[in-house]
Amino acid sequence: EEWDDEEGEKVALQQWEEDWDDDDVNDDFSAQLRTELESASAAAETPAAS
Amino acid sequence: IETARVFDFDEFPTRDKVTYMYYTGRLEVFNDNFAQADQKLMYALVHCDPSKEANIRMILKYLVPVKLSLGILPNEWLLRKYHIMEYNDIVQALRKGDVRLLRRALQANEDQFLRSGVYLVLEKLELQVYQRLMKKIHLIQKQKDASRAHQIKMDSILKALKWLQVDMDLDEVECIMATLIHKNLMRGYLSHKSKVVVLSKQDPFPSLSGKPAS
Repeated sequence: EEWDDEEGEKVALQQWEEDWDDDDVNDDFSAQLRTELESASAAAETPAAS
Repeated sequence: IETARVFDFDEFPTRDKVTYMYYTGRLEVFNDNFAQADQKLMYALVHCDPSKEANIRMILKYLVPVKLSLGILPNEWLLRKYHIMEYNDIVQALRKGDVRLLRRALQANEDQFLRSGVYLVLEKLELQVYQRLMKKIHLIQKQKDASRAHQIKMDSILKALKWLQVDMDLDEVECIMATLIHKNLMRGYLSHKSKVVVLSKQDPFPSLSGKPAS
């Protein structure tokens, strides 16, 4: 027996995100990363200054 | 598998065509032919009897890693409905650039991923996660000082990785940067002498959008 393909097709084709690579840096991960990077540059500059 | 070519594929019953595409799609996964794997497994998914949830789940267990390799993410709804939430952290890791989360997710489900044979496919996603991390570092630098944002110090990358509990030395970071550039996941060059990555001002992080990383 055969079945109606429509529902399967809907699931198959609509559940994927191709264009997800945004420029958003307002999430928690980015906020923490920012903190780390800022502390990193401070640490790197100290020995050079002394 | 070879004998099927002397028949007209369309003449077979749908259930057999779905089964055929599922198994040949799996073979393509193991041969690293992700574009073909995507095509075959998508056929299986589209034509699979929607009431056979266990079968759809089996297809997705291979199709999701294939799609991820091509830079395409599944909706959380799909992962939840078909009980494949083991992929959720991997998706989140790709979105964020969180290398630590990717490694944890692989470790937590290691047995399962090894048994189904997708572990090596998932492990290779690490490069895409590095790409995302580099993009985040770039965006953060840009907000601070747009004129110098295209230069990323190796030192900054090292600090970010240290925070993510990725233990790496400068040579290893340089190696990853070179690989990102080689695979066209990042455009620019690295200066070994001054320890910086200089990004191209135009589209420094090309997206895969459906094509396998070369």
